[in-house]
Amino acid sequence: MVLRAAGLCVTAQLGAVAVPVLRDVSLALAPGKVLGLVGESGAGKSMVGRAIAQMLPSGFAISAGGLEFAGQDLLAMPAAARRALLGRQIGFIPQEPLSALNPVRSIGSQFGEHLRRIGVADWRPAAIAALASVHLSDPAGLLDRYPHQLSGGMCQRVLIAMAFASKPALVVADEPTTALDVTIQARIIAVMRELQQADGTAVLFITHDLRLAAEVCDDIAVLYAGGVVEHGPAKAVLTEPLHPYTKCLLLSSPAIAGPRRGLYALPEQMPDLSALAAITGCRFAPRCPLVRDACRTTPPLLRGDSHRVACPHFDEVAAIEAAPEAPMPAVAAGTILVAVRGLGKTYRSGGPFRRRANQAVRDISFNLHAGEFVGVVGESGSGKSTLARLLMGLEHPTAGQIELAGRDVNRWDNAARALRLRTAQMVFQDPASALNPRRKVAAIVTQALEAAGLPQAERDARAAEILADLGMAPALGDRYPSQLSGGQRQRVNIGRALCLVPKLLVADEILSGLDVSVQAQLLALLTKLRAEHGFALLLISHDLAVVRYLCERVMVMQRGVVVEAGRTEDVFAAPQHSYTKELLSAVPRD
Amino acid sequence: MIPRWARDARVQVGAGLLALILLVAVFAPLLVPVGPDDQDLLATLLPAAWQTGGDAAHKLGTDALGRDVLARLLYGARLALTVAALAAPGAMVAGTLAALLAGYVGGWVDWLVGRAVDVWMSFPPVILSLILMVGLGTGSRNVIFAIILVDWTRFCRVLRAEVLVVARRDYVTAARLVGFGHLRVLVREVFPAIVPLLITLLTLEMGIAVVVEAILAFVGLGVNPDEIAWGQMIADGRSTIFQAPLNLLAPVLAIFVTVAGFNLLGDGLRRTLDVRLLEGRQ
Repeated sequence: MVLRAAGLCVTAQLGAVAVPVLRDVSLALAPGKVLGLVGESGAGKSMVGRAIAQMLPSGFAISAGGLEFAGQDLLAMPAAARRALLGRQIGFIPQEPLSALNPVRSIGSQFGEHLRRIGVADWRPAAIAALASVHLSDPAGLLDRYPHQLSGGMCQRVLIAMAFASKPALVVADEPTTALDVTIQARIIAVMRELQQADGTAVLFITHDLRLAAEVCDDIAVLYAGGVVEHGPAKAVLTEPLHPYTKCLLLSSPAIAGPRRGLYALPEQMPDLSALAAITGCRFAPRCPLVRDACRTTPPLLRGDSHRVACPHFDEVAAIEAAPEAPMPAVAAGTILVAVRGLGKTYRSGGPFRRRANQAVRDISFNLHAGEFVGVVGESGSGKSTLARLLMGLEHPTAGQIELAGRDVNRWDNAARALRLRTAQMVFQDPASALNPRRKVAAIVTQALEAAGLPQAERDARAAEILADLGMAPALGDRYPSQLSGGQRQRVNIGRALCLVPKLLVADEILSGLDVSVQAQLLALLTKLRAEHGFALLLISHDLAVVRYLCERVMVMQRGVVVEAGRTEDVFAAPQHSYTKELLSAVPRD
Repeated sequence: MIPRWARDARVQVGAGLLALILLVAVFAPLLVPVGPDDQDLLATLLPAAWQTGGDAAHKLGTDALGRDVLARLLYGARLALTVAALAAPGAMVAGTLAALLAGYVGGWVDWLVGRAVDVWMSFPPVILSLILMVGLGTGSRNVIFAIILVDWTRFCRVLRAEVLVVARRDYVTAARLVGFGHLRVLVREVFPAIVPLLITLLTLEMGIAVVVEAILAFVGLGVNPDEIAWGQMIADGRSTIFQAPLNLLAPVLAIFVTVAGFNLLGDGLRRTLDVRLLEGRQ
């Protein structure tokens, strides 16, 4: 075994309380195999990788159990010996490729330093060979470039080349593709596979995406709240999950193909660190559809041979089903809400002598009907967000025109602004930036009424209505955004836009970066709100499955141009443009 | 519930020192029997009361003109605190307005304010304030005015960067999209975010104002001769440093303690109010 964890426990000291962050994690990784660690944020999956590197955050410590690398005890080993293993025998691929490379040093200088450390005297040819092995074109020229001159995908390939350069026995990849577009993800995974098989390297693949893990890994361990709840061959875990959590995870993310099905919305969220210490029984019990009284008191043991599960009721898991999905509402071709004709935006930069023009979007035309959900998909840099900002009047178009509710809003006067305010609202991507940390929740969701100068009593009444709409307790109105969970923050973010009941909601990546169970809750919320208020939605997303689930129509954008548009079902079933085909084929399937 | 900033040891020590100085300044007439300008020409350059030849009536001795050092020290605190309390907020208001304008509006306004700050700051601050004092004439009001004119740039430069960051936040855009006007966005969304930094800068600036006032008084371009200033005491005590060292050391020590108080308070507030520092530690 390359890596063996036996009963590994990591404990965090939170004030006077010791909280078990990892509880009794036992894993084994054979040479040349890929083991996936899957779980939502807070499951402790990154903690395993950090324990191997002995880079636990301050206050965290390994409190019990053993961790062996190729027969050597990693925990008892002197620090110098362990450091000698890192980078030579154990490689790491980080999550954020751009922040993992030093921005002020060239690729060559960083690669050379690494190669000299692992004992390659003549580093230049070795570096060129390593960069060529991850299919980077012009590897020699790349050595003189700096990280900011490369794309995220290229940086990640450089880091993969570095991790595999010493032909390590083990590579720990912590969410290596999360920050990247789906087509780049497919390429990165292919490159990793190739190197891993060529060298017979064992890989510990940490991810939140169960389908991606099933595609990449031989074995999968599903983590929940610091413990392994299911561990088995990848195919078996994906197709016949034995733990209710795994099953619910699979049911809560929409599928990219196959018949339309409902989503299972797991209630609440994973208990956070401070809540963990108080739970004595099964940690999943508060959210589990199969929960019995006994579950709340006795922690389940991991049982089974090749496919192990920590749930005594595994035989009932197959029966868990999501609520049947109502068919996509057939929106009658109602009144045209937004009409966009030949829209274009060119950014100009540079001095008076070297002007550069960057066409962010070009010649976009479409109609959006009242009550219709339309998805805009494409990779980063395809102009999706610019389109949203143009629609909201945050940017001025350099070409074409936008009509809102039958009125040209291109001209920038007060009447146009008032019409925009009444008709369209925007939901921003990142609640951390979109919610003023110094405003209470109730004041955030009723900000539009404050702008209109309504008295406090009316605002409070409306705040209570909105919170009820969002499925949040009225008491939460008195909290600050920092006191909310990620899912609640995104709800507040949506709630602010809904305050004046707009006819159009423009949502920029509001469902990305969230855990799938939270995402499922928000999808259910959007569907419910749609039925109640009947607004139209322009959903910008890089997640094709979400767009397929939520939207009737879809527009595919590439380099500022809409390359394909049509009914979602048609486009996903029979894509016409080569780029759409590429996008669709890159998504991991069931 | 005591707020977080009030529990910081630096804040407590700094605020304690400043409260003490404020108290002795206000109650100076009760603490020393003689006035700061009363002369006892028969007892010039007396040592402190506990030294040989000292007089119990003059706790810290007398200066070359027979004036009581302790009395002058306590009355001098009045001027130092007045200047700190008026000049620093003045510089803050001027600097903050410029910073909000530059950071929020951006474009050529930002460019203009930025260049003005650059040019302003390229003058050594003491020289600039000396030139201003020559032009304005002496007097405590002009000292305050000079400090405001010199030091608004400190606020402007630091706050502009902060405003720039906050103004790019999505919640500022969101506020515009729900119908807030620019002024309301500035007051309700942007300004609250810079208040912690503002308070910190203000306390630090008060310490600086005390030093600048002392420097101006030392070179004789500060307050009028009939006003009592620590800088003037230092200048007077310089010539008799070997006969009566306390004449020089007492005001130096007073300036030191006052500035240390402001700096401790400012540093403590910065550590407990600055969101970015808190985030980094968690």
